[in-house]
Amino acid sequence: MAATPASGRLSAHEIHDEPFYRPVGDEIDIFAAAYASRLPVMLKGPTGCGKTRFVEHMAWRLKRPLVTVAAHEDLTAADLAGRFLLAPEGTIWHDGPLTMAVREGAICYLDEIVEARQDTTVVIHPLTDARRALPLEKKGELVPAHPDFQLTISYNPGYQSAVKDLKESTKQRFVAIEFDYPEAGIEAEIVAREAGVPADLAGTLVDVGLRSRNLRGHGLAEGASTRMLIHAAVLARGGASLEAAVRSAILLPITDERDVREALGAAIAAGLPAATRPR
Amino acid sequence: MLEATPHASARRDVARLLLGREDVGPALAQTLRRLDTLWPEAEVELWAGGVLSLLHANAGARCLHAFARATEALAGRRDAAALVRDAAGAAEVARRGGSQAGRAALDALPAAALKLPTSAERAKWWAGLARLAREAPDCLAPVCERASALLGHGEGAAFESFVAAGLKASGGDREKRRAFFTLQDPAARALLERAAGAVAFQDVERRLKLFGRALWGTAPRLAALQGAGVSAAPQRASIVGDLVRLPAVYRGVTGARAEPLYRAALAHAQAHQAFSRRQRAEKLKPLQIALVGLVEDARVEALALQRHPGLKALWAPWHMAQPGDAMTAAFLMARLARALFDPDYQDDDGFVGKGRRLFAEASGRLDDPTAARAIGGLLGHDLGQMRLRFDPKIYVPEPLYRDDNLGLWTFDDEPDQQADEIEQAVDAARLTPQEADEGREGDDPPKPDAGRAREAPADDRGVAIATYPEWDRAAGVERPDWTTVRLVAAGLGDARALEEKLDRLGGFRDRIARLVRGARVGKAARLKRQPEGFDLDLDAAVDAAIAMRTGDLPDDRIHRASGRRARDVATVVLVDVSESTRDRAGAGTVLDIEKLAVAALGHAMETAGDVFAVRAFASCGRDEVRLKEVKNFDGRLDAAAMARLAGLEPGLSTRLGAALRHVGAELEDVRSHRKLVIALTDGEPSDIDVTDPLDLVEDARRAALSLRRRGVDVFGVTLGPHAATDVFRRANTMPARRLDDLPARLSELYFRLARL
Repeated sequence: MAATPASGRLSAHEIHDEPFYRPVGDEIDIFAAAYASRLPVMLKGPTGCGKTRFVEHMAWRLKRPLVTVAAHEDLTAADLAGRFLLAPEGTIWHDGPLTMAVREGAICYLDEIVEARQDTTVVIHPLTDARRALPLEKKGELVPAHPDFQLTISYNPGYQSAVKDLKESTKQRFVAIEFDYPEAGIEAEIVAREAGVPADLAGTLVDVGLRSRNLRGHGLAEGASTRMLIHAAVLARGGASLEAAVRSAILLPITDERDVREALGAAIAAGLPAATRPR
Repeated sequence: MLEATPHASARRDVARLLLGREDVGPALAQTLRRLDTLWPEAEVELWAGGVLSLLHANAGARCLHAFARATEALAGRRDAAALVRDAAGAAEVARRGGSQAGRAALDALPAAALKLPTSAERAKWWAGLARLAREAPDCLAPVCERASALLGHGEGAAFESFVAAGLKASGGDREKRRAFFTLQDPAARALLERAAGAVAFQDVERRLKLFGRALWGTAPRLAALQGAGVSAAPQRASIVGDLVRLPAVYRGVTGARAEPLYRAALAHAQAHQAFSRRQRAEKLKPLQIALVGLVEDARVEALALQRHPGLKALWAPWHMAQPGDAMTAAFLMARLARALFDPDYQDDDGFVGKGRRLFAEASGRLDDPTAARAIGGLLGHDLGQMRLRFDPKIYVPEPLYRDDNLGLWTFDDEPDQQADEIEQAVDAARLTPQEADEGREGDDPPKPDAGRAREAPADDRGVAIATYPEWDRAAGVERPDWTTVRLVAAGLGDARALEEKLDRLGGFRDRIARLVRGARVGKAARLKRQPEGFDLDLDAAVDAAIAMRTGDLPDDRIHRASGRRARDVATVVLVDVSESTRDRAGAGTVLDIEKLAVAALGHAMETAGDVFAVRAFASCGRDEVRLKEVKNFDGRLDAAAMARLAGLEPGLSTRLGAALRHVGAELEDVRSHRKLVIALTDGEPSDIDVTDPLDLVEDARRAALSLRRRGVDVFGVTLGPHAATDVFRRANTMPARRLDDLPARLSELYFRLARL
């Protein structure tokens, strides 16, 4: 396959408009500093707390294209690096997304890396140390990383089971930035901004989120994420009553267990201002 | 009865047949005179029909006297038809249990009528008494004497099921029966508390814990307060340290109202835990202590409402006091409680108004834990001046959801009591059966063999190791702690003979071993480079194509398939060794077949490296579900285990539900991906103290269901002609008439397991 100019192959991966991101701490500075030296970064945190949004924001800020790969349990090294395909005239090599980012200098973001098979993650090792190169075994090629290439992975430690844990040798290559649901005031600001709802409604929803996060590890694997709260706010803005929005966007998706749902529903109701409850 | 009464002549008949009699004539005449002043003629005529029905039942003079007395007591209600039905009920009791019984019942009638005002409710009471008169006449008198304690408001049906449960529980044992109906048996008291339809603490415990945790972020420690329902004092929650004890049941609060009440009580208790501080009672008078508690309740609730405004809707429905209630200290305090809680509540009383004003003045410093003491002290003084009756012994805070407030105080004269109480309460909490605290946070599930026994000393019935609930089909409730599982040492038999028999079966053993080994019980995984599968393995396909073009021999394993990773399964083999396994089946007994099956299965699982245990069970009434441990999870199927297996002897009955619950609890502690119970049984569950075998079938079915809900697959391999399909669901029942059927059934079992 003929090499295409970077802008051509990666143009779809460029981010032109600023993705909204509300910094909580010094994460932007740390990421920028890491990028300056092209250190690989690991984003740790529960689902829906803004990891992906943060990477998008940083890619926009650093003016680099962003190649995102959502890892799944069948993701193989070939899916990342590339493979030979058959064409009428013989076999041709097709770069995988990682190789594409390495060649052309993008930020490659491997989302939920623990979902991938452990042997897959080893592929990234040579890219994350001083070598900064990607060996393509099958092709017999060593692809040196573009000076602008950087690797970012996200990792949800909430799974905390032996099967879903990063290898020690993988973990220790990364600079880590920890994410969690932001504190109530900031989270309300984010919900209000993302969903376009008034601040008091956003505040109420954040309180609902706190109720559910109290059950984290006790009936719920995770509390309601900021994303869920935003969904609820969007429903409420769209005309649903607050109760219905909370139910549809949070209570029903978050658990299939009736006991937990009922208890959480009651606790959420106890936190809602009396005026919003139908008499 | 009514139809038999000739038109307008019942009264004449009464006059003709009875008024002349020396023994009852004067009493009846007096009652008639009284009724004539109170009731219209037609009603009196109706009532006379009731007297005749007693007479025709040969109920005897004592019954007629008792009926006359009851009539006078209830005459004010002017409900002749109800009294006629009562007479008919008493006639039935007398017919079955003799005139003594009829009289005892009629003597209890006024008390019963207080609790069961409608005739329809009372009909159920009479039906229960009639059954008792028929089946346990000796218990009729004690039950009638306790009518007011036994009957809940409007709970006639509950009484009926109480009688049924008592007769069932005692299984014909007079001593047990008497203990039950005289309420000496704790089971009887517990039963009363959770009459049919009542929602018990244990029904809501898990959700309550989640609710409390979600609300305040910390898990509440909860325990049930037993016995509150039968005592005379109204039930209230009680806080001891960080332990919240809630009534085992809020009697009279049923159905959909019960759980919100529990939530309200817990939210209130947690408000105390968040904002209250214990204080010394010092020189406060009882009335002042009560009022300080009341104001403190209002204070912590106000603070809680600032955080969780929606709690108002949870608490408000229980505040029902209003002006016009009798002027006693208790009622006035209930009104004050409402006034402090609800700003919209109207009350002109000066005392209530003063309380409101003082509380409002303190609203700026609500977070001061001593605020209540000053206000309560003042109000207590005022209320004392009003010279209203106040009995600290029977006082409880209103409304119902609030706690007894004892947790707020330290009393100087009893320093150790609190500590003792905490200890007791914690012990009580620990004794909950395994099923009740399954899957909950907090204490580790008690080990089945850790001796949690209530009756520790080992007798010939074995060591009690656990109690489990049982489903009462008739009443539609789960009876807690109904069955006791006892561990009995397994006798030793001839292991070698068993092994030889197994070897003589030739291929049987190997077939089982192959099945078990081949069982796909591991976790699902995607396999690459497979000869067949649902999808092309791209890499393999490309390699194969390249090989073809370069003239090499291509590898045809170019598919992806899903398969299983390493097996990870824990199994309990549950063997029914009841008397019926002595039946012939083929060349030996059912138990012989079971032993061979277990031996073959056991060897196969041992070879495959599966974790498994073998348990044998038989029962002799609900207090004696005997369990033998043939092999434990951590043990090996060695010669000793084989000897224990060979030593199993048939005897006693089959209480399958209890055995299933027990092995389910044992599996709780085992870590594995799949959990499996294979029950080998010869048919329907039954036991000596249960007359309707369907009861135990239903209980076992529910036990199996609850295991399934917890991720345990339950299979029944039924040997012999009576297949208990109802217990394990048809698909999970593997009927095996002969030993030769077993491999086929097992292969079905493992096939299903792979697909589940």
